[in-house]
Amino acid sequence: MSLETILLVAAALFGIGVYGALSQQSFVMLMMGLELMINGGILALVAFWAFTAGGNPQGQMLAIVFMTVMAVEMALGFALITNVYRVRRADITEKLRRLKG
Amino acid sequence: MSGGLLVDVIFWLFAAGALVTGYRVFRTDSMVRAAFYLLASFAAVGGILVLLGAEFVGMVLILMMAGEMLIMAIVMVMYMMNPAGLNPMWMVHQHRVAVAAGVLAFAVLAAPVLLVDFPDRPNPAPEEATAQLGEELLGDSMLVFQTAGVGLLSTMIGVVVLASRRGRYGEADEGSSEPSLELQDAESR
Amino acid sequence: MDYASPPIALIAVGLAMAAGVYLIAVLDRSIAVLVGAGRWTWRGAIVGPIRSAALLLVQRRRTTERPDSPGWTLAPALLTGLAAVALAMVPIGPDMAAADPSTGFVVFSAAIVFVMIAVFLHGWSPNSALAMHGAYRFGAQALSFQIPFLLAMLATALPAESLSIVDIVDAQEPLWNVVRQPLGLPLYLVVGVAVSFWGPLNLPDASDLAGGTSVEDSGVARLLWKSARAAMLVAVAAMGAAGFLGGWWGPWLPGPVWMVIKAVALLTLLLVAGHLLPRVRIQRFVVIAWVILIPLALVNIFVSGALLL
Repeated sequence: MSLETILLVAAALFGIGVYGALSQQSFVMLMMGLELMINGGILALVAFWAFTAGGNPQGQMLAIVFMTVMAVEMALGFALITNVYRVRRADITEKLRRLKG
Repeated sequence: MSGGLLVDVIFWLFAAGALVTGYRVFRTDSMVRAAFYLLASFAAVGGILVLLGAEFVGMVLILMMAGEMLIMAIVMVMYMMNPAGLNPMWMVHQHRVAVAAGVLAFAVLAAPVLLVDFPDRPNPAPEEATAQLGEELLGDSMLVFQTAGVGLLSTMIGVVVLASRRGRYGEADEGSSEPSLELQDAESR
Repeated sequence: MDYASPPIALIAVGLAMAAGVYLIAVLDRSIAVLVGAGRWTWRGAIVGPIRSAALLLVQRRRTTERPDSPGWTLAPALLTGLAAVALAMVPIGPDMAAADPSTGFVVFSAAIVFVMIAVFLHGWSPNSALAMHGAYRFGAQALSFQIPFLLAMLATALPAESLSIVDIVDAQEPLWNVVRQPLGLPLYLVVGVAVSFWGPLNLPDASDLAGGTSVEDSGVARLLWKSARAAMLVAVAAMGAAGFLGGWWGPWLPGPVWMVIKAVALLTLLLVAGHLLPRVRIQRFVVIAWVILIPLALVNIFVSGALLL
């Protein structure tokens, strides 16, 4: 359990999240990709805190800010999904075609 | 961190669990299972955080994610046409581009990890990590804490206003119609 | 702090859960007989739970069409595991605890929050309409009680200035929390009944849904789900005794005996409430949780914080 291995795991989580966010057609699955990316970010942050910051408590504070951002992003994402569905009857990204070139 | 073989084995179990369940999120047919696979991935990452000594952050991550993933499962059942996975499903677009982007992101992030020589100042036996975090939250970082609190409050108010049925210009479901069943022009392989 | 080694801790928690589940079955039947003005017999109350368990063990298993089999088997196992985690957080005596992490309160709360995942899985997996209905009801119920639960338990951590349950019990040496924070224990009991969905708040397994999330259960699965629910109630009562009734503090008797007495007292109170109070409608409970319980919990925290300053 060294810093390099944990960062590689976090990078892999981030990569899977990027794949999910770019490839999924459904809004909810896209948001799951974003969640995985932030998951990788939190893991990398706490790994840096544990191995190099020498126990500086501001590292944990930043992790809590990350989790706050994740909660905000999910809540707003779901509200916007609900609204997009009500107005445009669209539940996948392909159905939003108004600005398509 | 020291800790011996047991800690390493547990870490590898959690790491493998996080990656496998994170990947299964996007390959499963059942949507509710996808939400719970994501929960398992988060729980594994929370376990690694506890192993690293950040007990409070790890347990709060697990706590938060349980609630969020229940909401995600309910939203899946609301908006996905195949929530139980009774039919096979493959709803992706630009699949090769996405795989390339994912691999590229991993490579770009892994290259510095392998090439840079990180300093080694490990966390000195974090026995008081929670107390330290508490004093930090209400001491030096109180402004950050309060801003996050106000941000969450405004998010809650904004989300309830956005998603409520009683809109400013009338009921939210007037002017909307039943979802159509045809999807063929949108599904791609 | 003297921890038990992991195997001993596992066995101890398992035995405590098994004893608690059996005690709940016996007490439940006894209270039902007393409330219904019947006759209490050895065969009915003491041997009865064992006979019905044996009957469920040999009952023929039914299944539904295209259920989510891994999820259906996982749900009672998950609920039992969560009850074990929650019970392991409760200290028995001043030097005896299965585990005492510095964030014991957060681990207990995480176990409580995960209960709603277990119940949702249990209702979703059988692919049955009434089960799904029960799962959704519990989703609404669980999201509503979580904030009052966290706030009510948080007020007990204030005098202790620590999130570790052992410290919370230690801080009650001068005065029990039920006296210092009078709003705390009623709030905790209401939320405890909600989280273990017993009695008046048994909305996911309600009889108006013909059994709700367990409508399609049969045989061993049914027995496991009932035992898991009872184990959760044991954990909730034990934590209530530790957090509000002073844990192991008390005259004359040794600490662990007091702990067991207080936990059994809370358990009896919850079971009596289960038999005497009718089931609350979900709409009413959600409104009460958000509009009444949260302000009461906040008042509780303000008052106990002001008393500390």
